[in-house]
Amino acid sequence: MCTSSESFEGIALPHLNAVYRAAVAICGRQREAEDLVQDTFLKAFERFELFEKGTNCKAWLLQILRNTWIDQLRHQKVTGLTLPLEEEIVADAPEDYETVWSDADDLLENFSDEQIIKALSELPEGQRLTLFLTDVEQLSQKEVAQITGVALGTVKSRASRARAELKRKLNSYAKQMGLMGGEK
Amino acid sequence: MNHLTNEQFEDIMQGNDIDLTHLNQCRDCQDRLAEKQAIAARLHSAFASVKADAGLADRIRCQIKQNSEIADSAKSIQQTWTTRLHHKLWPALTAAAAILVVLMLLSFYVMTPPAAKAAQAELVMIHQQNLGPHREFYRDTNPEKLAEYFKDKLGFTPAFPCTGQGMEIRGCCVAHFKGQIVGSYVVDTPRGIISIITVTDTPKQMGMTHMPGKKGYEQSFWKSSYAQCNMVTVRLGGYSYCAIGEISEISHECLRDLLSRLLPNTQQ
Repeated sequence: MCTSSESFEGIALPHLNAVYRAAVAICGRQREAEDLVQDTFLKAFERFELFEKGTNCKAWLLQILRNTWIDQLRHQKVTGLTLPLEEEIVADAPEDYETVWSDADDLLENFSDEQIIKALSELPEGQRLTLFLTDVEQLSQKEVAQITGVALGTVKSRASRARAELKRKLNSYAKQMGLMGGEK
Repeated sequence: MNHLTNEQFEDIMQGNDIDLTHLNQCRDCQDRLAEKQAIAARLHSAFASVKADAGLADRIRCQIKQNSEIADSAKSIQQTWTTRLHHKLWPALTAAAAILVVLMLLSFYVMTPPAAKAAQAELVMIHQQNLGPHREFYRDTNPEKLAEYFKDKLGFTPAFPCTGQGMEIRGCCVAHFKGQIVGSYVVDTPRGIISIITVTDTPKQMGMTHMPGKKGYEQSFWKSSYAQCNMVTVRLGGYSYCAIGEISEISHECLRDLLSRLLPNTQQ
């Protein structure tokens, strides 16, 4: 069992960048992301006695990050700052779901990293984190299911819907930038 | 030949062991996979340069140190109190806790009959199986064919969901509920996958509680939660249509909204 702050720093702090990336993905803003990361590490330190040495510390920290984020959203909801925890509106099916980009790699290279991150941050909360954990952190579906607290099947469908939604957003960016025309 | 489902694409991207025969022969699926992989790779590369500021690590270290010191002093105070409690209050607290536990257990059994809980557990299990990889669905784009399938399996045709607005029927299947065969639709919605299970039991028999009325709904809706799932049921033509989704994805109100869109007879 781990108790000391030295031990915590040695085991948990090496994952700071991964936790920060996740915070940027779900908050979208650097300042908020830093606050969220700080809260996450403090909570993790308080619960460090519960962490089993040898297990996946990054996944454990990301789970705490996700729960901290949801707590903050709930608090903001209560205090009147409404940030949707879930999508409340049944949206129309996006028109671009079924088209395939003719040269996806070339098209995607036209977007800046900031544009890609912005598009991700505009996805619904559940989709955003699932896609980040799957594609950026490259965690297994089982680990993503544990972090996000949903069934394995839900992880698959969320990741798929998130990727389709991300593509739709990038499609709209591409149209604004005059890049479209290569669909088949 | 059926194209790969979204879940199968996800499995392939994860390197899960699945049959690739169709993929090897289908250009369309190959293009879709390449596109998904390109998006995943670009997303990964976009975050490559995102790193925490060096000052953030220092701030965290500093706060941990402070909290550690506060925790140590609090611990010594707590130890003093614990010793006192041990000697004086411990027997009384133990007795009070035991009474509380008994009261909670009693209230649980009084509030929800075991048969109703078992029914909810069975509904949730059907939904979980619908999400699992081994569930076999009957799929057809023609609603008449789906109706024929249910007529053949169940002896009647349940109300058929109206899709659109981002909702799509993944397939239908039959399952066992209380030892009887029941029909189940699985629907992809913008809020996640939901199952709609048609049973003869009334919502009350399944331990569900009445949802407060809302303008625009002709029928009464009933709700309950079991394990990690929310359920909302509406009664139509002598059958209960129970929509089930994951608590983390979908609220009771949203399930009611989806159910009323899928089964338009519920709306005024």
